[in-house]
Order: sequence, then C-alpha cells, then structure tokens
Amino acid sequence: MKNPQRSPTNPGSLRSRFTHVFLQSLLRIRKHNPTSSSSSPHREFLKRCSQVKVAAYVSMARAVGTRRAWSRATIWRARNGERRRNLLCRRCSKSNSRERSLGKKKKKKKKKKKRDNEEHGFAHEKKLQKLVPGGEAMDFCCLLDETAHYIKCLITQVKVMRSIADFYSL
Amino acid sequence: MDSDDKDKFEPAKQNEDPMNFNSASISSEWQFCSANLSSAPMNLVRPRNSMAVCREDLIGSSSCSSAPMADSFGPALWDHPPTMENLGFVNISAQNNLSTSHLLGIRKVGPESVRGDIGWNPPSSMLKGGLFVPSALGTLPIAEGLPHFPTDSGFIERAARFSCFGGGNFSNMVNPFGIPDNAGLYPIAGGLVPGPQDIFPASCPKPVPGAQSEKNEMNIEACRDVHLAATQGTPQGSPLKNEGESESFARSRGEAKQGTTAGSSNESDEAEFSGGGGGGQDNLSMLEGTGGDGSTKGFDSKKRKRSGEDAELDKAKGAPQLAEIPKDDSRTQQELENNPSSNTSKATAKNNKPGTQGSDPQKEEYIHVRARRGQATNSHSLAERVRREKISERMKFLQDLVPGCSKVTGKAVMLDEIINYVQSLQRQVEFLSMKLATVNPRVDFNIEGLLAKDLLHSRAGPSSTLGLSHDMPMPFPAMHLPPPGLMQGGPSGIGRPADPLRRALQNQMTQLAGGFKEPSQLPHPWEDELNNVVQMGFVGGGGGGGSGAAPSGQDAEGPLPPPGHTKVEL
Repeated sequence: MKNPQRSPTNPGSLRSRFTHVFLQSLLRIRKHNPTSSSSSPHREFLKRCSQVKVAAYVSMARAVGTRRAWSRATIWRARNGERRRNLLCRRCSKSNSRERSLGKKKKKKKKKKKRDNEEHGFAHEKKLQKLVPGGEAMDFCCLLDETAHYIKCLITQVKVMRSIADFYSL
Repeated sequence: MDSDDKDKFEPAKQNEDPMNFNSASISSEWQFCSANLSSAPMNLVRPRNSMAVCREDLIGSSSCSSAPMADSFGPALWDHPPTMENLGFVNISAQNNLSTSHLLGIRKVGPESVRGDIGWNPPSSMLKGGLFVPSALGTLPIAEGLPHFPTDSGFIERAARFSCFGGGNFSNMVNPFGIPDNAGLYPIAGGLVPGPQDIFPASCPKPVPGAQSEKNEMNIEACRDVHLAATQGTPQGSPLKNEGESESFARSRGEAKQGTTAGSSNESDEAEFSGGGGGGQDNLSMLEGTGGDGSTKGFDSKKRKRSGEDAELDKAKGAPQLAEIPKDDSRTQQELENNPSSNTSKATAKNNKPGTQGSDPQKEEYIHVRARRGQATNSHSLAERVRREKISERMKFLQDLVPGCSKVTGKAVMLDEIINYVQSLQRQVEFLSMKLATVNPRVDFNIEGLLAKDLLHSRAGPSSTLGLSHDMPMPFPAMHLPPPGLMQGGPSGIGRPADPLRRALQNQMTQLAGGFKEPSQLPHPWEDELNNVVQMGFVGGGGGGGSGAAPSGQDAEGPLPPPGHTKVEL
C-alpha cells in the first residue's frame, strides 16, 4: 500500500512538499517574531510553540491539498479561526444571542449526531471525530478513510519535524 | 376498526392475487394473519423455523392486537408483513419439504421449531380459525375454510408490500404450489405472498433471474407490480408511502391480475421507478452493485420495500444511516444478520427452496423469511451490508497503519488503538513544535532549510534521529520530560534540547557523541555525523530512526529507506 510518492527521494512526495512548506512557515514565524523579547520569555515561547504547531498542521494540510476533508477543515479552521474567535469575543461582549445561536446550531448538530451515535454506541466514532479535523461532518465510513490518511500524514509530519528539530538542535 | 381494516385488507389482497387464492376464506385467514402479523412484534421474524412459529403462534395467539393491526399494518407492513410472508413462506417451504398432504404436518412441525418467537403468537392467535394462511398455501383444503374478507385498498397495499418482500422466492413458492393442485395457492403469491415475497427481495436479485418458472414470474410480477406501484409511490415521498402504496396497489391490482402482462408493465414501472428512485438511487446503485442482480425486478422490489419502508433512510443514506435505518433497528439488525445469510443464500435460495430437504433448507427458508421480514428494508440491509464491508475494509487498512494493531480483533478495541495512536501522534507534533520553537530563533533557516530539505529528503536525518528515535519512541509520556527542560531553557535553548539528544546519542552510539555539536555548527555536525555513521555502519541500528511515532517505531519507518541505503545516496 506504499504510495511511491511517499518515497523521500521523490521531490513531489508528500514529505518533500511538507518539508518545503513547513520550513517556509518556520522562517516566516522566525521573521515575524523577534527572537528576544523583553516580555515574559515563557509566554513568548509558548506563543511561538503554538505558532509552530499550527504552522506544522497547516503546512501538512497544504501539502496534502484540498483533496482530503481533514486538510480542507484544517485550512479552513486556520483561516477562520481568528475570525471566529474575534466574532465570538465581540458577540460575547455585545449580544450573546447570535453567537449562541451559531454555537447552538453547531452544537445541536453535533449533539444530534452525538445522540444518534450514542444511541448506537458510537463513542469511539465521536472521539475520533473530535481528533480528526473536520470529522464531525462525516459518517463513520468516510471518517475511517480520513483517519487513515490523516495518520499517514501525521507520521510523515512527525518524522520531518523530528528530523528538522534534530538537525537544528545538534 | 382494526378488525374491519384487517378484513378489508385481506380480501383486497386476495383480489390482487392473480393466482386467485382458492377462497376468500383463505384470504380472510390471511387477513387475519396479516393483521396479526402487523400487530405482531418485530420479533416475529426469527431465524427459527418460521413454519413452526407461524403455525403455533398463529393458532395459539389469537388476538395479538386487532387494534394496532390496522394502524400498525400500514407502517408495519414492512415489518409485519414479512412475518406473514414468512408464515406463508414457511408454509410454502414446508410444503416444499413436505407434500401438500402434509399440510397438517406442517402445522405440527411448526410448534416444534420456531416456537420461540413470541411475535408469532399474535398471528397464530389470529388464525385461530385454524387456517394459517401460509399454511393454507400448502393446504388448500384449509384455505377453503377461510372466511372471506372484503377487499380493501389497505389490504391491497399490504399485499403489495408482501409481494415486495417475497419477490424472489416465488419459484420456491411455486414449487409447493405445483405439488398440490391448489390453484388457490397462487393467490398466496399475491396475498399470502408475504412469505415468499419477503424472500423475493432478498433473493430477487438472484432468484428473479433464476426464477424462470412461469409461476415464479407470475408471482414475481404480482409482487413486483405491487412493489413497483408501491415503490413508485414511495420514492416520491417517504411520507407518502401509504399513498403511493395505495396507488401502486391499485395499479398492482390490475397488474397482478394481468399476470404476465402485468409483469411487463411492472418492468416498465420498475424502470420508471428506478428512474424516479430519488434518494434511494444511491442505494439502488449500491444494491445493484452489491446485489449484482440483473433482475431489476428483484432490485426494484427491494428498493420498493426500502422506499416504502424507509424512504427516509434511503435519503439519509449518506448521513448516518444508522440513525434512520434503525427505525426498525432491532428488526433490521436482526434481518441484517440474517441478510448476509439470506443474501448469500439468495442465489441459492431459490435453488434451495425447491430442494428443501431437512433442516437446512428449512433454515435457509427461514432465513429467507427473515430476510423478507427485514426485506422491508432489504435495500437498506443491502446498503448496510455494503457499508459494513466498507468499514471493515477500512479498519483492516488502519490496522496495517497503526503499529501493534495486527493482533487486535474487534472494532471497538481497534478504534481505541487508533484513537490512542492519533492522540500520541498529535502529542508528538506538539512536542516537536515546542522543540522547534526553541530552536527556531537560533537557526538560520534559509541555508539550512535547503540543506535540511535535501538531507531530509534523502535521509530524513536518520543519523541525527537515530538516538532520538530510540528515545522518542519510548512511552510518550517521556516526551513530556524534555519539554519542561526545553521550556526552561527556552530562550537559551540550545543546551537543553541538546540534552536529550546528547543522552540519546550517548546511549545509542558513543561514537556519534563526537558528532554532537552546537546548532551553529549544524552543517558540520551533520556531515560529521554522517561520516561517523558511515564509518561505523551504525545505519543499521538506526533503521528505526525517525519513526518514533510509536513504541514500535521501526514499523513506521517502513517508508524510510534503510539508513544504509541513504548513506549510499549521500
């Protein structure tokens, strides 16, 4: 089942694509964040950590493209995450109704699905849906498919990141 | 009144039957049966000898519930009718096994086997009259004694439903009929069909094609007509099930009576139906694919049943079908369970039926009966089956992907493992991102990026990751140890991150410790390490490097070329 494209020597492989995008994003992060900050370095460090983490996931999603639901969901989340957060904050301060309605709609959908799933004893499915980005909107069959691909990409991601970290930390 | 409805239904069914059940009495009896069946709990369909169950229960339980019958009959047609059909089918099958003269014997046989189903009780009770409609099939004489029931549209509907169920097994049905010269039995196809009709959907794909016998055709047509009409109506709208059914029934009535001609019309109807199969089309295609049935009829019958019964389910096919399909959850599940057997035996069902011998054919028949019962959702069951196969296929693939899951059996455990694995991978990503965050500011990525890319592409840093890989794959909690170190040393960061590396390297290969260098000297240490690795031939030991994703990290290293290989490349 090994995809020939996964071989490291293949320039168009997922690994090479991910490495490329990830390194670019790391550089971008480095540029945007001053290496030394007067304010709490700890906080800075944490912020940078989260940035790198998000960059890693988004880079992988970009490398995968929009073929996969989870990659699409990841990219969408990254794009709209800030927007959603801002909206939530604003709405929270102003009127909770809209935000709640939106949240409720989503929650209702999720709850309904959860209820349905629970009725059928799909606790695992729900858990998996939470883990895999964009998994909430999928039936079990597609979810397994996405999970498999997601695991493959996660493994590649971990390998590349580790090699980069090792490379740079040595 | 329910009883009235029942009466109405039965006679109607009888009228529909092209076969003209021997007597209205039979139909009336059947009506009782159907009424009982409708009211009968889902449990009616059990993988037991339906015959036995039918017989005894029908006779024993007299009034399951006249009240719910009329009401339940409609929606429950899919569920209950199968029981009737099962009953009928059982009788038919019983007849296959036994001579017609053994009608009584069949009845007697009933008590022995299926007894277990409580659900049958109602029908049997209803049939206290003594004539189990299905049994009547085998025993025409009994049928004669059946009271006459006024035909009713509802009855026709039910009959249609039944016919849908028993689409496939008409051949079997016919056989028993053939034995006795009870022309009245044919009405069974229409009226009593419930039994064989149930089978039909299951076996439609196969038996239908195989049902070359005219009788089968007739029966099939009758069933199909009913089905077609019903299905055609149903696809238009699940809520309109009954309406559609009524329409179809009306049509089917005429069609059924037309016999062969009706069959052709049915086909056309079927074609129309398939065209208008709305949401069910997906299932249709699936069913077609899965059923592999050239017989559209069977397919349609199945589809009709599905549409009639679970048009909603069909539409929701994409969505968690489980939520919808389980309207008849227990039943469908049971049916589904039987379906595989019934479906598998579909092809052989027809063959089996004629050649029923001993318990096996009876079991098969019974399964068919059950399938019919579940045939109400036959298309669903097929869809479910396909879905389950898909899921199992994907689970197998995931099993290969997740290390250490080859020995795991069972969906739940496997899913647990998968979830744990994904969580561990995500934790690793987080940890590595922390590491990179500490390293980031200190590294000039431009140059090293290119270098790293090449190195990574070619080797994925096996040497550098060798030690770490052994370290990292250690229980993931271990990952949490370095992070604190990293965090503390964040800004200064080099030393800390280097510690685990150093430790790992020292642990793994003392020789490589020399290659451990400050990040500023990255390119050099990298080369040194490479040289060291090459010289020491450590590559073999570091084969698992880089995987680290799982305790058995080496498994995940599959895609990585062996370090030795990479060395050569470099």
